[in-house]
Amino acid sequence: MSTSATAQLTLVESKLLSREPGALFTFVIPLFILIVFGGSLGRGDATLLPMTLAISVALVALYLMPTTLATYREKGILRRLSTTPVRPASILAVQLVLQFAVAVLSCGLLIAVATVALGASAEVNAIVLIGVYALGTLSMFAVGLVIAAVAPNGRAANGIGVLLYFPLAYLAGLMLPVALMPTTVVRIGEFTPLGAFRQALQGVWSGESPELLPLCVMAAYAVVLSLVAAKLFRWE
Amino acid sequence: MADELTGCDADAGVMAIIDVTGITKSYAGRQALADVSITVHAGEIFGVMGPNGAGKTTLVEIIEGLRAPDAGSVRVLGMDPRSDRRRLNESLGVQLQNTQLPENLKVWESLSLYASFYRAPADWENVMETWGLTSLRGKRIGKLSGGQRQRLFIALALVGNPTLVVLDELTTGLDPSARRETLSLVRRVRDGGVTVVLISHFMDEIEALCDRVVVLDEGRVVAIDTPAALAQRVGERTLDEAFEKLTGRLLEP
Repeated sequence: MSTSATAQLTLVESKLLSREPGALFTFVIPLFILIVFGGSLGRGDATLLPMTLAISVALVALYLMPTTLATYREKGILRRLSTTPVRPASILAVQLVLQFAVAVLSCGLLIAVATVALGASAEVNAIVLIGVYALGTLSMFAVGLVIAAVAPNGRAANGIGVLLYFPLAYLAGLMLPVALMPTTVVRIGEFTPLGAFRQALQGVWSGESPELLPLCVMAAYAVVLSLVAAKLFRWE
Repeated sequence: MADELTGCDADAGVMAIIDVTGITKSYAGRQALADVSITVHAGEIFGVMGPNGAGKTTLVEIIEGLRAPDAGSVRVLGMDPRSDRRRLNESLGVQLQNTQLPENLKVWESLSLYASFYRAPADWENVMETWGLTSLRGKRIGKLSGGQRQRLFIALALVGNPTLVVLDELTTGLDPSARRETLSLVRRVRDGGVTVVLISHFMDEIEALCDRVVVLDEGRVVAIDTPAALAQRVGERTLDEAFEKLTGRLLEP
């Protein structure tokens, strides 16, 4: 595919994403939670920001991305594209990059608001943060890709996303702080991609050196589920 | 590169744009196409007609490289539609049944985007003008009427400046005046040197437009001829009656 086609596709897909109300929600919901609950927590709290970051990635990975991809297949957009010189895989690649950009923007906004307005620590190890964030996003996107692969249409993808979001968010300690959850449930949560992500992010803000287990859990989900998605994905 | 376009038809001495020989295709044990052979020449409008389930769409999907036949050979513009897919797609324009575009995409965005996919596209603003879409350029696809959307899909099939276009049920959903207008535009496309394959279940459309037509029934070729000769051959005056005689059923439900 030529550079101009890639550029055009990226431009057009970004415009479409900006016209999608779902994209706005992935910014607004975690920001709303951060502001509403952040006000009542003391300055320097290290739990709320990691929770909202995990929520923002989960919203993109479980709703926005799979719904978009499944709709593209359902409506024959991928099929139409496959009759042009462009590979339909390129639109998937462009979509994944853009969805990742949405997650990163939302994350930047949350960190900025938490640091400036809520006094979250700015003294975090940026390299560890980027590594944890990349790994967490990869593992959650892999879950989203499996949804996109198995969902027959956009509505089904959306429904599966909702069904998965609530248990995953609960196990991850995003509905209740882990301190208020039964230990067994917390333990189970550490073996889910979202739970491992929240836990690793929390480590970043409490200034501890990163634990190995959550990183391994995320990497395992990222690899295994990406392979499953690639195996199950249908172009039409 | 020279032998790209050399599928020569010895009888006619005219270049074969499409050469399908003895193709067979079944889905889950159901025979969709059985030993189908057709040749489409440069510059003609070639009709594909038949009742629902006759195999029309399967045949064109094989020509477009969207499906592989179980047996038989297919050459389109001298290329194999499966293994030379990307190269063939540079010269092939397609309007598919049951495909949509993102609803929030604007008319001009879709044309400019699709033009960017090709190495030597047509000027998309000209195509937009030709197909009467300029006044709709900023409109979102989800807000277009059926006829406007259909015109856009045909325009998108032509924006890559193809040698061959395949139009599948292009007048479905159009009102009579929009249909007439579309048919005259298809003639203009052909007059511009583009070979057209037209899948239709409207007899008048086939009769008015096509130089030759293949009649498919239950996956088999029943006849290939000019619409007039086809009617004459079975001793009928209209294509409609000829079709009924050939297949034992009515084309339009």
